[in-house]
Amino acid sequence: MSGILEFVTHPLNAVTFFPLVGVVAILLLAREKETLIRWVALGTSLITFVISLGVLGLFNPQDPGLQLVYDRPWFTVAGWTIRYVMGVDGLSILLLLLTTLLTPIAILSTWTAIQERVKEFMIFFLLLEIGMVGVFLALDLFLFYIFWEFTLVPMYFLIGMWGGPRRMYAAIKFFLYTMAGSILMLLAIVWLGLHYGTFSVPDILAQGPVMGPVQYWLFLAFAAAFAIKVPMWPLHSWLPDAHVEAPTAGSVILAGVLLKMGTYGFLRFNMSLFPDAAKYYAPWVALLAVIGIVYGAIVSFPQRDVKKLVAYSSVSHLGFVMLGLFAFTPQGIEGAILQMINHGISTGALFLIVGMIYERRHTRDLDAFGGLWKVMPVYAVLSLITALSSMGLPGLNGFVGEFNILLGALGSRVLGSYWFAGFAALGVILAAVYMLTMYQKVFLGPLDKEENKCLQDLNWREVVTLLPLIVLMFWIGLYPKPFFALMHPAVEHLLQAVLK
Amino acid sequence: MNGTQWAFLGVYFLLALIFPALPIVIAHFLGPRRPNPIKDDVYECGLKTYGSPWVPIKVQYYLFALVFLIFDVELVFLYPWAVAYDMLPMFAVFEGILFILMLGAALVYAWKREALDWYEPTMPEFRS
Amino acid sequence: MTVPVTWQDVAALLPEFFLVVWASALLLLDVFWIREKRTTAWLSALGFVVALVLAVGQMGRAPLLAFRGMVIADAFSVFLVALFALSGLVGILLAQDYLARNGIERGEFYVLLMFSVVGMMLMARVADLVMIFLALELFSLPLYVMTGFARPRADSEEAALKYFLLGAFASGFMAFGIALVYGATSTTSLPHMVDVIQAGEADLALLTAGAALVLTGLGFKIATVPFHMWTPDVYHGAPSPVSGFMAATAKMAGFAALLRLFVLVFPVVADLTPVLWALAALSMVLGNVAAIAQRNIKRLLAYSSIAHAGYMLSAAVAFADPHLGPQAVAAILFYLVAYVLATFGAWGVVILLERRIGQEGLLLEDYAGLSRQYPGLAAAMAVFMLSFIGVPPTLGFFGKFYLFRVVLDAGFVGLALIGVLTSLVSAYYYLRVVMLMYMKPGEPIVRREPRVQATVLAAAALTLFLGLTAASSLYAWATEAILRFG
Repeated sequence: MSGILEFVTHPLNAVTFFPLVGVVAILLLAREKETLIRWVALGTSLITFVISLGVLGLFNPQDPGLQLVYDRPWFTVAGWTIRYVMGVDGLSILLLLLTTLLTPIAILSTWTAIQERVKEFMIFFLLLEIGMVGVFLALDLFLFYIFWEFTLVPMYFLIGMWGGPRRMYAAIKFFLYTMAGSILMLLAIVWLGLHYGTFSVPDILAQGPVMGPVQYWLFLAFAAAFAIKVPMWPLHSWLPDAHVEAPTAGSVILAGVLLKMGTYGFLRFNMSLFPDAAKYYAPWVALLAVIGIVYGAIVSFPQRDVKKLVAYSSVSHLGFVMLGLFAFTPQGIEGAILQMINHGISTGALFLIVGMIYERRHTRDLDAFGGLWKVMPVYAVLSLITALSSMGLPGLNGFVGEFNILLGALGSRVLGSYWFAGFAALGVILAAVYMLTMYQKVFLGPLDKEENKCLQDLNWREVVTLLPLIVLMFWIGLYPKPFFALMHPAVEHLLQAVLK
Repeated sequence: MNGTQWAFLGVYFLLALIFPALPIVIAHFLGPRRPNPIKDDVYECGLKTYGSPWVPIKVQYYLFALVFLIFDVELVFLYPWAVAYDMLPMFAVFEGILFILMLGAALVYAWKREALDWYEPTMPEFRS
Repeated sequence: MTVPVTWQDVAALLPEFFLVVWASALLLLDVFWIREKRTTAWLSALGFVVALVLAVGQMGRAPLLAFRGMVIADAFSVFLVALFALSGLVGILLAQDYLARNGIERGEFYVLLMFSVVGMMLMARVADLVMIFLALELFSLPLYVMTGFARPRADSEEAALKYFLLGAFASGFMAFGIALVYGATSTTSLPHMVDVIQAGEADLALLTAGAALVLTGLGFKIATVPFHMWTPDVYHGAPSPVSGFMAATAKMAGFAALLRLFVLVFPVVADLTPVLWALAALSMVLGNVAAIAQRNIKRLLAYSSIAHAGYMLSAAVAFADPHLGPQAVAAILFYLVAYVLATFGAWGVVILLERRIGQEGLLLEDYAGLSRQYPGLAAAMAVFMLSFIGVPPTLGFFGKFYLFRVVLDAGFVGLALIGVLTSLVSAYYYLRVVMLMYMKPGEPIVRREPRVQATVLAAAALTLFLGLTAASSLYAWATEAILRFG
């Protein structure tokens, strides 16, 4: 009994497993009490957010290493002790906060959008939160894999049960694509376990990396899992389908958090576990990243479905993140981490915005709109800020991240060429093109469609949903120092270990 | 087994094939062939089959045969036991009794399930 | 007279003895006194409970050769005997309502099931080649009859005949293999055989040929490609509870004998490693690929069982490695537990949805909309499917994890790759069942049969939570279940 108490009172376990309380509570409620179920889910995720703020309070930004580590032997199997290791450091603290923030926002966005099977929806959503938080906190490869693979299940149901017309196709495509990568990672994890006799990442790092050609194969196996999740060009084709078909809240979480699991995986595992291979493959990864940046931007432009447009823009934005990571410079990596947060905020907000108009008009076709500025002024202003943030206007969050990434890529010795940064900069310009085109088509011009003339502006709930994200856009855009301060020591620490 | 022994096995196998094949081949070449309708008949002697040979045969014959076969074979197992009876330890005697009891149980079961009763067919018998 | 047989020998086989006596008595009771067939079902269930208690009572004892070295009671066999007793109980729980509602309930069914379980238990106990053959026949013959139990339905009879003919054929291979092994080592006793082989007195070529034939015979029972042809037809034609029982237990029994023979006696015939490799790879690939095309849930589960035989066999490929042998045994036993739980559960759901025997409610489309009216049942089925795929945190994930560990440790990277890639293929058709239940509208009709429902839910709960809470103790138990001769 005391063991359980000791387990749940550790802040990292608490923040990971608190949503389980909500799941159990919702399971016990009758399915007709939909409003109550919504409140329970929202309350649970808000408390989880508060706990994560508590974790932030306990976090010491000066310490470059892992903090609040909870390390216990979990079980022993034929000579292997599988440990339950949770910990947080500068690389993961912001992602943890992003996850716990986006979850209540996403739940709030479903208040009227999800009317069918609310009970199941909320259960899957809270289960998904457990998986996502666990991915960012787990430091034992076995534990990490359990969380990683587990996130697939609730997301599969969210897309498949509450999605659009082609939801079943999208759901199974999402599942199979992601699983295809992660099973290769599973083999690599088993191999590492056989080699080191442990799965605990700190222990493995203490023993030094695997030498010889095997390291390169292991890097590729891990990269397969993460690159599909990011998604890097050319493995991105599941993403537009999943995004278009998923319900709004699903898209928010998918873009906001699930994609970050891929980039985080590169940062946490690929770079430190296989440093030689990471440096060797860095130009190739950067090449794919730059192709993704340009490709995503170009393909976004002609899309008529707003969701598809945002989905392809994600491919482009995540390309920036990958480029920053594999620049192996402090600016690059810090910019990349910040860009992960930025993308979560901006794209999350964009999907919310799309969801709001879809709920009113039941279409996402760009040609169905025009002149919405006149009927929905609040909505138009908030959308403008979000679009500008997404395309990287100075003064808003997107700029800080992309600027640092470009600087980092320019000064990178590992990449060894200016061309990567040069082409990536092209992506920034293209982003302005497709974002502004979209904005113009929807909000500006004459209000010539009859259906649009009596549209209601946002209600208080929708404004509350968007407001935290808008505040963060300005905060990061104008005063990013505290965010960098959180990650800086850890990034320096990582780079020292990798580049030595 | 060494090489010679394997070779021996091979030769043996070959001989085993040739031995039965040879008379057939020889008979084919040496035997006189003068076919006539009587020789080509199914049997060279006896009666011709009358009517269709696809006559339904009473399924109880099979049941009887099966029950008989089972007990027949099982009784063979008792033979060595009975022959060596006076040399057996107590346990083996007990085992034998157990065996007989199980056979008895099976017999009782078959009896109760009416496998041993002969039923007159309710259908009119097949008349040729 | 050599070693006298004593009561100690009987004690070594106590669960089996009890079951045989109980089943024989029940056979007579059933024809003479019992009016309600349900009573027979309950009495045989009680018999399995007692057998389970007796098997648990044998745990922790020193290995004991009994009946002049014909059988052995070691940790491995006790583990499996307990599992078989439990499976027998589940088999009855699944079958009773089904048989009654389809009008094919006869007391003999339960008795046959008990005899079959005794044969399977003996498969786990074998210490002599002759015993393997006897046990194999003892568990197979009742299964042939049970397969045809839906007489006079043509597909059930066809399945029984097919199973019987091919099974008899496989037994022939088995007998011939046993003869060759005997010829190579001049003994049928497995412990003696180990000595003979270690002394270098065995004829290796002959032994390899014999082992290969034995492998063929057992491969038929565990349904590996290319000896799998009967599986879909038999699982399809047999009454569903029989198919479920067969899918779970016959595989266990086959693996019990296979592991004992190959890990303990045949490591010397390492020449067979590529053969096992190929069997495992073919089973995984063909089983999973063929399952994609199935529209009938029974056939789908049949092909999936072929694929799972392949996964388990892939760990058995490491049999020749003296260091990895015990680990392979533990990993396979663990996987068997995960597989058996999910199999019983999934077949339980099939039984609940099957409206008329062998006809309605068996297509995948009949599962559409299940989650709306029967959320608990649909969730349970989803758990089984996810466990079959190997998604954490279900037990199936832990099972696959340990299997791949052994495969990788033995250096068969290619086989491990085939394993994970075919898992991916399998995700496609397992998820289709989930998709239909959760994402398609429909009006499924489900029976209210509390015993089956309880079994399904219990299996789902165990599949879901055993992995997180008790994977280590289960694995430790499986590790202790090491094969030994004295």
